[in-house]
Amino acid sequence: MVEFKDVSVTYSSGVDALNKVNLKINDGDFAFVVGSSGAGKSTLIKLVLKEIDATSGTVLVNGFNLRKLRRRKIPKLRRTIGVVFQDFRLIPTMTVYENVAFVLRVIDAPSKYIRNRVPYVISLVGLSDKAKAYPTELSGGEQQRVALARALVNDPKLIIADEPTGNIDPALSYEIVELLKGINECGTTILMVTHEHDLVRHFGGRIININKGSIAFDEVVEGSNESK
Amino acid sequence: MKASSFRYLVNQGFKGIWKNRMMTFASFCILLVSLLMVGLAVLVELNLTRIISGIEGKSEVMVVIKDGTDQAGIDRLEADLKAAGNINTVTFYSRDAAWKDITEDMTDEEKALFDYAEDDNPLPDVFKITVNDIEKMSETTAQIETFMNVESTKSPDKFTNFLISMRRILTIVGFAVIAALVVVSLIIISNTTRASVFSRRKEINIMKYVGATNSFIRIPFFVEGMIVGIFAAVGALFLTKFSYEGVYNVFNSDFSLWQVLGIHNLYKFSDLYLYVALAYIAAGALIGAIGTSISTGKHLKV
Repeated sequence: MVEFKDVSVTYSSGVDALNKVNLKINDGDFAFVVGSSGAGKSTLIKLVLKEIDATSGTVLVNGFNLRKLRRRKIPKLRRTIGVVFQDFRLIPTMTVYENVAFVLRVIDAPSKYIRNRVPYVISLVGLSDKAKAYPTELSGGEQQRVALARALVNDPKLIIADEPTGNIDPALSYEIVELLKGINECGTTILMVTHEHDLVRHFGGRIININKGSIAFDEVVEGSNESK
Repeated sequence: MKASSFRYLVNQGFKGIWKNRMMTFASFCILLVSLLMVGLAVLVELNLTRIISGIEGKSEVMVVIKDGTDQAGIDRLEADLKAAGNINTVTFYSRDAAWKDITEDMTDEEKALFDYAEDDNPLPDVFKITVNDIEKMSETTAQIETFMNVESTKSPDKFTNFLISMRRILTIVGFAVIAALVVVSLIIISNTTRASVFSRRKEINIMKYVGATNSFIRIPFFVEGMIVGIFAAVGALFLTKFSYEGVYNVFNSDFSLWQVLGIHNLYKFSDLYLYVALAYIAAGALIGAIGTSISTGKHLKV
């Protein structure tokens, strides 16, 4: 569960990125966060990951009150969140398997569990035959699927997808969102930031539109489900 | 942290060396050259100090015994000298031995000039002494002059003062050069490790996003830095050995100039080997590990 209570963020440059935002994303929700560049979408993600602190207001994520969360406890928070970035952010010196397994190593998971869980998750994103490949040997779409597997492997409560389709073929974008939808159906909360309105219209669901640091629109919209 | 996780992290450290071989090689070279520079400077300083000490050890003070002192008086003076502080060696040099030494190298014509003195040796009995600390030589001679049966003392004051000044200058300059080399080396090493870690900042960033703790991220970098440091230390040790032994052989040759200048009395590398090896390995491992660890810290604030 993610909850923003009167959250404002003003950067040291004086820019007001968010202005008294109130927002609640319940467990199991799938929400698109849309808005133009500079609207405050990235600030919202940074707040959830505690990359930055709110200037005022309260941010609650998966039971953590981020205002009170000490720096050394941040890893604990992040282990409850899976993140998918636009630029994939895979570790280039690790294979697909190692990239996915790394998340489990971080939480001190037993070796046997890692050996069973990682191939399973890699198979979920359809990359079993690429487990030993390095990120540079994969296409953009494949790299994003690895990122998705990495976000998923720890069975997080929340997955944040920050423009996950921004760097891949438009045809593959639908595939990625389908995968996210599938994950959501298993109970994981998904927060997907995007500026691709076609995708949002196609899939529908909860849409949060941020404009100039405020929530301009927050409603559930039915998807067109028209073929891409 | 579980033992298996620790093993994994150490293993990642080893793998990191190969995966980032270009930057690793750069760090290795910089560390090796830095250790070599500082190591050789320390060895030069050590040997110069030893040479000066060797020359100092040969500086003798002549203690002239009062004319007419009997054997009991001479024995007592010897005992007094040996009991005085700062005395290294005490050697009696009789007037007869001195006369013999003087006339030994004379030609017959020269000897004829000193015929009158053959039965009336004008030279005094003396004690030749060497001191432990040349800087206290004047205090020691002043003390000796108060002893019974001492006529006077003769010490090479000017030469002693020159040696003392030389040693002081050498110590100050030596330490300054070594300190400067250490500082320069640390700056270069720090920049290299920073560049090495900077090239992997994305990797560190990703680790932070998936919930890795700072120590989890640091351990492989720490291991990697330490191993590179140890390899650099071993490389520097071999280069030091070869270059030092080359110089040692030159100064230890039969060429008499070095003997005259006292430069033949250098430390053997085999005597220093263990200390040099330990110093290199400890410095290499510490600088490599801590340097990399500190550089990593700058990218952990995500």
